[in-house]
Amino acid sequence: MNDLRAKSPWITHYNTGGCNGCDIEILAALGPKFDIERFGMLNRGNPKQSDILLVTGPVTLRCRDVLRRVWLEMPEPKVVVAMGSCTHGGGVFRHLYHTENGIDGIVPVDVWIPGCTPRIEAIIDGLIEGVEIWKNKTKEKEYMVGHSEKLLEKIGVLND
Amino acid sequence: MMGLLLTLFSPIIGGFIYGVERVVKARMQSRQGPPVLQPFYDFVKLMQKRPMMVHSFHASMGIMYFISTWFAMAVLMMGNDLLIAIFFHVISVLALTIGAFSVRSSYSIMGAMRELMHVVSYEPVVILLAVSLYLVTGSFDIAKILTSDITPIFSLPLVFISFLGVMPMLLHKSPFDIAEAHQEIVGGPDIEYSGPFYEAVYTARWIEYVYVYFIVFLFGGSNYFLGTFLVVFSFIFINAVDNSTARLDYKKMLKFAWFILIPLSMLNIFFVVVGAN
Repeated sequence: MNDLRAKSPWITHYNTGGCNGCDIEILAALGPKFDIERFGMLNRGNPKQSDILLVTGPVTLRCRDVLRRVWLEMPEPKVVVAMGSCTHGGGVFRHLYHTENGIDGIVPVDVWIPGCTPRIEAIIDGLIEGVEIWKNKTKEKEYMVGHSEKLLEKIGVLND
Repeated sequence: MMGLLLTLFSPIIGGFIYGVERVVKARMQSRQGPPVLQPFYDFVKLMQKRPMMVHSFHASMGIMYFISTWFAMAVLMMGNDLLIAIFFHVISVLALTIGAFSVRSSYSIMGAMRELMHVVSYEPVVILLAVSLYLVTGSFDIAKILTSDITPIFSLPLVFISFLGVMPMLLHKSPFDIAEAHQEIVGGPDIEYSGPFYEAVYTARWIEYVYVYFIVFLFGGSNYFLGTFLVVFSFIFINAVDNSTARLDYKKMLKFAWFILIPLSMLNIFFVVVGAN
């Protein structure tokens, strides 16, 4: 059953304030030349129905809680793929007043795709590796980095 | 017995139709596309997700949509009344919209309103279709329509054309996919469903495919070969239109349905009645 499941990963793509270079590469991956629907991947744009969270950009302070919310709204099993050097440690935005220096302290990451911007082959490679990890995950609830009641209340998901 | 088997297997048939449709769509955009069994992989995946719901009423309305669509399908496949099948289909769509209205997500509410506009647009044409089939074959019963001597398509060509115009609204295809506009209101009424509950809505959509193409099949009458040809023709036509047009807004859909398709059906019914007298 897990092998069948691995054939239909649906993606939510969230840009946390990057330069849009990575997003254009993702759109190219959806197009005719590098058709990632071959692997059953769809860009759903809806966290409630998707399995892979594809994050680009340095996490700006405004985006931080939204990213946490998007991650919480995804039902398990789920996988986070961080794409591009901004997401890894801030990239060119590192140590600026408005960024979090990467996704690392916000949500747990499973696959890192390096590059600025990564080539489309690298994106497909990273997503496939994410699917391999996702295949072995279970329904068990996951918790984000620094999980607490106070944080949940701040994001506004405690009563949902 | 045959009807019972077809009813039980209608989600599987619908899944195959949807899988073929995704491949056809990909080939039309010069992509390779997913495997034909892709909807079933999605089905297995959605069953294995952790169940999350907004509230229990919303989730139960999603399951209600699935059950009543399947029930409409059973009425059709068992050879019963066509009108009852149409009314059960309306009940299923209403269950979906009531569920979508019950959550606070604005996209969901907007999608439910647009879904009601779909119903307002396509329902008169579908009712006129049932009426015209009654006028030609003398019965609302599917079993009698499928064994009658008259082939309905030859006396109802304009009704068939207006049903072709209505099919994109029933199946949420491109010129009239305003209810689940994936780029503006991400999926419309089914945005808040997730995991196994979304799977109910997703499977109900497959059954809707079988429901709509079975109504097309009725136009062949007792000539099953002609009916199959009409189903294949309408499948190719709907996909070609789906991939070559952009989305319109609900006013244009309503105007198209009420000022072009309904008069077209009425004209055909008028000629049938005049010809009979």
